[in-house]
Amino acid sequence: MESHENALEVRHLRKAFGVIKAVDGIDLELKQGEFLTIFGPNGAGKTTLIKILSGLTKPTSGTAKVAGFDVSEGNPEMRKEIGVISHSTCLYADLTPLENLMFLAKMHGLEEPQDRSLKAIDEVGLSQRRNDRVRTFSRGMLQRLSIARAILHDPKILFLDEPFTGLDLHASNVLKEHLKKLHDRHRTILMTTHDISCGLEMCNKVALQVKGKFAFLESIEDVDRDQFEIMYFDAVRNNQFVMGIGTRG
Amino acid sequence: MNLYFNQISAIVWKDFVTELKTRELFSSMFIFALLVILIFIFSINLSIVKASEVGPGVLWVAFLFAGTIGLNRSFMLEKENGCLTGLMLVPADRTAIYFGKLISNFIFLLIMEFFILPLFMIFFNVDLLAHIGSLATVVLLGTLGFCALGTLLSSLSSNLKTREIMLPILLYPLLIPIVIGVVRMTGQILEGIPLSDMMKWIGLTASFDIIYIGVSIMTIDHILEE
Repeated sequence: MESHENALEVRHLRKAFGVIKAVDGIDLELKQGEFLTIFGPNGAGKTTLIKILSGLTKPTSGTAKVAGFDVSEGNPEMRKEIGVISHSTCLYADLTPLENLMFLAKMHGLEEPQDRSLKAIDEVGLSQRRNDRVRTFSRGMLQRLSIARAILHDPKILFLDEPFTGLDLHASNVLKEHLKKLHDRHRTILMTTHDISCGLEMCNKVALQVKGKFAFLESIEDVDRDQFEIMYFDAVRNNQFVMGIGTRG
Repeated sequence: MNLYFNQISAIVWKDFVTELKTRELFSSMFIFALLVILIFIFSINLSIVKASEVGPGVLWVAFLFAGTIGLNRSFMLEKENGCLTGLMLVPADRTAIYFGKLISNFIFLLIMEFFILPLFMIFFNVDLLAHIGSLATVVLLGTLGFCALGTLLSSLSSNLKTREIMLPILLYPLLIPIVIGVVRMTGQILEGIPLSDMMKWIGLTASFDIIYIGVSIMTIDHILEE
């Protein structure tokens, strides 16, 4: 990983589902330790982009290198370098947090799986519930456990797909603290969100994805927050008309 | 290589811990298999037909139908909360995921069969204990083939809305060679024919077991791909 300057290199990336172009010619470079927040209306292709970058789905065309690995090759070594928080928690509901993380630690081939799992559970403040079934957890607790799952193997790159969705203020603050800590530890983070204040607060690069393309991609220093908000809400409004749920005459 | 086997055993461990907590898989398979045998026992007049002629068919219908419920349930657990996506994100070869699920399904099915066989012996009034070694061989071969193909197809059908319907539709026609083999062999065992006289059927069943495992290894990567 250290030998690659760019943690992420994306060139002319495309993904089509029939006639629908979910990702339509995205170019992107992220250096190790950079934090990119991608905003965009529903259906803009943000989740598809994360799925491609995490190797869950193959692009129709173009290339994407993550930690120096071509995502299309499906190299298991690449998956050692990434952690993913998606819409789904990816947690077994009938297992406890400790059992879930121990299973994952064994799948990653980590040394001392129990100690690593206990430490990760402690980091997200769920020590007292470590032996309760995940099925009994609230949305916020599940999301915290998802973070523990994603960082258990100490990945260099994190893909976060709308991680603040459904979280209350406290859980949201806990998540923000964790993301800041990870960023301070020089982890590369790519996050999608609809929460403008959260997204802009933490990142050092901002993108706006509309209809599969980056309509905007700048460093945070070059972003005028008010103008960006106008641009974002315009994109959301236009998207609503496209989807037939707009209210404007 | 060590990691590969550790990953397989981790999946088996996870499935067993889940099953020990819920008992959903075993109880549903066992009750279904028992019901199938009971329905047949009330509809067959054993004073007219020989148990060794109808019994093997009934036994394997019970095993396969109950096993199908188990296969559906097994992959539904992986779909819940996107756990299969989580599995796809770990640095594991896809075949390790397949073999982990195959071994879990195989052991769960064998446990169910272990409890069903004595009941079958009582209801059909046949002496299985005298042929337990031969019967165990046939049951192992048949169950392995069923699980090898069933695990592959349940991973395929788990992405479909109509998975409960699609799995048997895809599975049963492809299982015909194995079903013919094991039903014939079970019948001959009940008639007291030694296993050494059934090498043709053993060869057929074992060949299909190997073919199904081979096909699964070659295709599981594409099947698990979204």
